[in-house]
Amino acid sequence: MPTARSLITIMLAVTLLSACSQVRPWERGYLAKKEMAWDTDALESALNDHIFFSKEAASGGDNAAGGGCGCN
Amino acid sequence: MLLLRRMQTTIGLLLVLVGPTTFAVEEGDKVPAFDFASIYADKPNINLEGLEGKTLFIDFWASWCAPCVLSLPLYNEMYHKYKDQGLEVIAINVDNPIEDGLDFLLDTPLDFLIPRDPEGDAAELFGVIGMPSSYLISPDGNVELVHMGFRSGDMEILEEEVKKVLASN
Amino acid sequence: MKPKPSRSLIALSTSALTLPGISLADAPPTQSTASYKISNYQEDDLSRSEAPFGDLDRYDIDVHQFKLISPVGRDFSVNIDANYETLTGASPWFTSVGLDGDPDVNLSGASGIRDKRTEVSIGARYYLENGSIGSNIGYSEENDYRASYVGFSGERHFNNDLTTVSLAFSHSADDIFPTDAERFGRVISESKYSSSAVFSVSQIINQFSTIKTAFSTTEQRGFLSDPYKLIDFRPDTKTQLAWSNSYRRFFVDTNAALHLNYRYYHDDFGISSHTIDTSWFQNLGRNYQLIPSIRYYSQSAADFFTNIDDFLKPLNEYQSSDYRLAAFGAISGGLSLVANFGNWTATLTAERYVASDKYAAYNINQPSTALVKYNRVSLGFDYSF
Repeated sequence: MPTARSLITIMLAVTLLSACSQVRPWERGYLAKKEMAWDTDALESALNDHIFFSKEAASGGDNAAGGGCGCN
Repeated sequence: MLLLRRMQTTIGLLLVLVGPTTFAVEEGDKVPAFDFASIYADKPNINLEGLEGKTLFIDFWASWCAPCVLSLPLYNEMYHKYKDQGLEVIAINVDNPIEDGLDFLLDTPLDFLIPRDPEGDAAELFGVIGMPSSYLISPDGNVELVHMGFRSGDMEILEEEVKKVLASN
Repeated sequence: MKPKPSRSLIALSTSALTLPGISLADAPPTQSTASYKISNYQEDDLSRSEAPFGDLDRYDIDVHQFKLISPVGRDFSVNIDANYETLTGASPWFTSVGLDGDPDVNLSGASGIRDKRTEVSIGARYYLENGSIGSNIGYSEENDYRASYVGFSGERHFNNDLTTVSLAFSHSADDIFPTDAERFGRVISESKYSSSAVFSVSQIINQFSTIKTAFSTTEQRGFLSDPYKLIDFRPDTKTQLAWSNSYRRFFVDTNAALHLNYRYYHDDFGISSHTIDTSWFQNLGRNYQLIPSIRYYSQSAADFFTNIDDFLKPLNEYQSSDYRLAAFGAISGGLSLVANFGNWTATLTAERYVASDKYAAYNINQPSTALVKYNRVSLGFDYSF
């Protein structure tokens, strides 16, 4: 018997997928803008990851977690 | 019942996501007939009929496409080198808004034919699947070469192919 | 001296130009880019009421970052990264009960602490038709800490480049040899190992927006306690899980982009956290960009956290008063100004971060007094050639 949770997940997936469209290769001008990158400033995000890693408990997420870390 | 319907909708949408395989111009095909407006409002249209007997190098580019931007000055050199042997370069700009393409040309003047294609109709006609894409067409309208992307070393490869087609016609 | 973490695996899963779908065939960057950033990080001093005895100055750190990324031949790119930091200041040594019954903090380093850290890493990436694979290695050293790390990653595009899947692995081996070990009865030399994996999926939604979801898992084992605390004993293994989601949206009429990120974290020390941050990239004319940003972070406490060190507790029971294992919340806000002219880009950034138990989303049984507040300013340059 499908749970309420799996029904909600499917509904969300359907909603999301229906919002997706075929973006043709020549239509990717906006996506190509520097401000649309996942990481717009590599040194800035490296520095922030470094600071937050040493001042907070959480780490990791969308990049391989900081190894070589002295902060427990 | 409701769950089954939802699953069918999901699968249907997934198939739509995967996308229909679009028609793409391939090597060995005949070049489709075209009639493009120039990016410059005061210049005449660029059409296949008016280019009879010429070897055509058709390229799709945009100001936001870094490899395209790298290739265009090199194509300009190639055009000057071989235009007396019958080469025409047709660089179709797909920028939308078209002003982005025009602004780029103000900084980087190019001497070959530049059609405008902000709606992507020409790109659709050729079935472009990546940016940039170039097509080398012999004077009898045969697609001799389809090349996608522009990496280091590609200019030499393309120039060799252009020389071959010019020599055999 | 508090060892500083190195930036390992410099954003493994993001290459220099992770812009969705430029061309169907993946390709190395078209130009080389050299970058340099100088930053100053300064923590607020403690007040006398928080630390009745000893030092009040916390950390003051200068950071220099260098990066060079270049295409090599048709199919490769290489990158070199180097960091150099100098640090002065003090960190919490132990906590005790103050006259008012609330915890007081005592900072280390009556003589003032100076440390330097140097890190170098090199990497390469190979580009195929529909994706790329890469690897990097790195090394970091300071006067009481040494780390070596290695990483591998791969990504593949599907569905006409609308979907990208990536997988990355990394491993790090660290050694710690605290200063003044014998004098203060600290451990002489210990090791720690860390391995992690990240899996992510990103999707182009339409011409203006993209989303990404990523799962990461990290295993640490070895000496995980803080050797500079008077009393600190933690388990010798730690498992961490994180799930992050990102959204990017371009607004044509405003000529600006919105970034929105959310991450949920949990580890087996008992800590869970939520992180949400957002930035607005506002283009100003052709050459300038203004980027305000705001971030909210909240974590729960580790199972063995205590805000007052218990010197009577048996030594084989886990215990730590390290504020980073406490329940707290933090809000930070920043502003960047970017100027781009030809091949040059300059970026000026200022950020203010305040951690407080007032901002916590989780229950606080034992508030920490040693929560940090800091200012950070950075100036960076990029040159493409």
